[in-house]
Amino acid sequence: MHHQSRSKSARLTRRVFTTTAGAAAVLAGAAPFSVLRAQGGPLKVGVLLPRSGFEAGIGQDCQRGVDIAPPILKSLGLPELTIMNGDTESNVDAAREHAEKLISDGAQLLVGAFDSGQTTAIAQVAEQKGIPLIINIAAAPQITEQGYKFVFRNFPTAGMILSDAFVNQKEVFGIAGATPKTVVFMHVNDTFGTAMSKGIGVLMPKFNMPYKIVEEIAYDPAARDLSVEVTKAKATNADALLMVSRLNDALLITRELIKQRWTPQAILSMGPGWYEDQYFKTLGKMADGPISFVPWFDPNKKLAQTLEAAFVKAYPGSNLNTNQVFTFEALLVAADAYKRAGSTDPKALADAIRATNITDNVSVGPGIRFNAKGQNDKVKDSAIQNRGGKTVTLAPKEAANAKPEWPLKPYQDRA
Amino acid sequence: MTASVIARLSEDVPHRTIILLGIVLAALLIAPWVVNDYLLTVLIVALYSAYTGQAWNIMMGFAGQLSLGNALYAGVGAYVAAFLFTKFGIGPWIGFLACAPAAAACGAIIGFLAFRFGVAGVYFAILTIAFAEFARIGFDHLAIVNASAGLFLPVQQYAHNDLWRLRGNPMMFYYVILVATVLAFILCRLLLRSRIGYFWLAIREDEQAARAAGIDTFRYKMYAVMISAAVTSFAGVFYAFFYNNLFPEQVFNIGRSIEMVLGPVIGGVGTLFGPILGAFVLNGLAETLNSAMSAAGLDLPGAKEVFYGLCLLLVILALPEGVWPPLARRLGIDKGMR
Repeated sequence: MHHQSRSKSARLTRRVFTTTAGAAAVLAGAAPFSVLRAQGGPLKVGVLLPRSGFEAGIGQDCQRGVDIAPPILKSLGLPELTIMNGDTESNVDAAREHAEKLISDGAQLLVGAFDSGQTTAIAQVAEQKGIPLIINIAAAPQITEQGYKFVFRNFPTAGMILSDAFVNQKEVFGIAGATPKTVVFMHVNDTFGTAMSKGIGVLMPKFNMPYKIVEEIAYDPAARDLSVEVTKAKATNADALLMVSRLNDALLITRELIKQRWTPQAILSMGPGWYEDQYFKTLGKMADGPISFVPWFDPNKKLAQTLEAAFVKAYPGSNLNTNQVFTFEALLVAADAYKRAGSTDPKALADAIRATNITDNVSVGPGIRFNAKGQNDKVKDSAIQNRGGKTVTLAPKEAANAKPEWPLKPYQDRA
Repeated sequence: MTASVIARLSEDVPHRTIILLGIVLAALLIAPWVVNDYLLTVLIVALYSAYTGQAWNIMMGFAGQLSLGNALYAGVGAYVAAFLFTKFGIGPWIGFLACAPAAAACGAIIGFLAFRFGVAGVYFAILTIAFAEFARIGFDHLAIVNASAGLFLPVQQYAHNDLWRLRGNPMMFYYVILVATVLAFILCRLLLRSRIGYFWLAIREDEQAARAAGIDTFRYKMYAVMISAAVTSFAGVFYAFFYNNLFPEQVFNIGRSIEMVLGPVIGGVGTLFGPILGAFVLNGLAETLNSAMSAAGLDLPGAKEVFYGLCLLLVILALPEGVWPPLARRLGIDKGMR
């Protein structure tokens, strides 16, 4: 009996063929409807970040902005996103490979990738495939100067960051009622530090800054001891320190300032290091006072407050920073565009992104809008000051939530 | 001339090897038409690794000189070609005529310093790293190529492939790097079967004995470094035009030099097929691992690096000659075609 039924089922009769062919035809006919249903589902967003390799720490910090996004986007009435993670491994080859992989796996929009070189590699894939790319962080101006149609950046270019830093410095000096006349410019001699040093040299005269650089001291970012450099800086008796640093050297310099009993009027930082969680955790009260000029969030905006609350809840003991802010905003742009486009069609999505006008956002400035080149040219930097293990915003005026504490409280009086 | 080259190429090569080579080449020629864009990119990266591994093999595998700074030659090639293209509109093929001598000159400086003053072994390797680092720091400050802010090549949507200017879609780049890898293979085979190749092998096995036998070891080691550098420089040209951006931190990074070494070490140092097999094994397995992890819903950044480390460990422990020599013996094609 068993044998009989098996042989029967294995035989292809005309009836079986007709039934199968009919079923296949029905399925084939239904296939386009399946595609349409898929378009009504969540938007598939490929997020590319350097989560391993030498930029792993920053990539993972950006990832936190992705992880806390879904409930906030939902609360804004925005459609659901399906996040597909890709690791650029901190190199351009892997960035390109993973962009291709995410697209072949069905990603309908890309977000990334923190590093300018990796972002450029991804941008080419996005442009070739006609898949929109929203850049979270990458400052090389050339990325949005290539005439791309599918690449959008909600982050200031290197030139914008420096220019804003000088504007904000003047504003802080004005509010504090104090202006340093002399500064020592100390900077790391790596790629970032060197580029900033050159940019400062070019831009400073244009902004007619009130201070003079009396000494420029470059040093190795991996240095184990910076006592000589700080002694040299102290010997100039300058009013303030102008810094371009990383975390390691920011810690070393602060310790040397304490040890050598030198508290300048102000520490003005034009980069990372001085506002990072580890700086606060390591130095406690000694971390208070430095002012950093960075792309930041506007603490007075409602969405920024929501994001900060969600972040602190998810990562107790950490402070919201640039990495999460701009990664979150990239997803905000994606969800907003998807809602307006009503479709996962890449061209419709790109058109919707181009027409973005989000005023309820997180970063500083009037909101998120893109110019013809796909650059948000209205996004602004902030001046932030360390205070009690957190940061407060001093400038620009519309984003400020505190007045500057000036001059720095002497380190020896902070016991 | 051509007949004699073909005769030299196929000398002592068993028919089975020729058939196998033909099958592999046919598969590589057809591949872009049957794989998706993602796999095409993986193949491009694998062929790039095979090419740079083959170039490194000339120095280490044939002449026994360990270089851990070959990113220098690729970087110089990349920057010279990109600079000529962006500033003067000179295409990459003409540009390569400047890149190759520039990279060979860099190799000559390193080689002269090392071989003239008896710097050998790990000290030679350290010297090559040092020069790559000098270049990285130097290019970080070289305003003419936009220093640390990066040198960008203009990118457009190309309606058709422009092979002369290397502007086009990934498939064009695939065939370019495939042809380059085949040519590098042929060059290495010809070099190995020539007088210079035998001298290199003699130097690699016992430099003192080679010198005693009358070989001008200084000269032939210089040839190895300069040829390896010149060949590597084309990889730089390819890199510049494929990725369209150059940052000293990325291009001259020691990680790039190490990547060039991994393929031949896994595949078999000093063999012709080793660098190619090693590049495909490493890239293929790493991407398979990535795909398997994503299919299983695992998100483990850095797993690929751990995997590379494990592969190296396994090969060093279990297959100290590399994967290719035992495989060739098993296939019965180890005679005449290492």
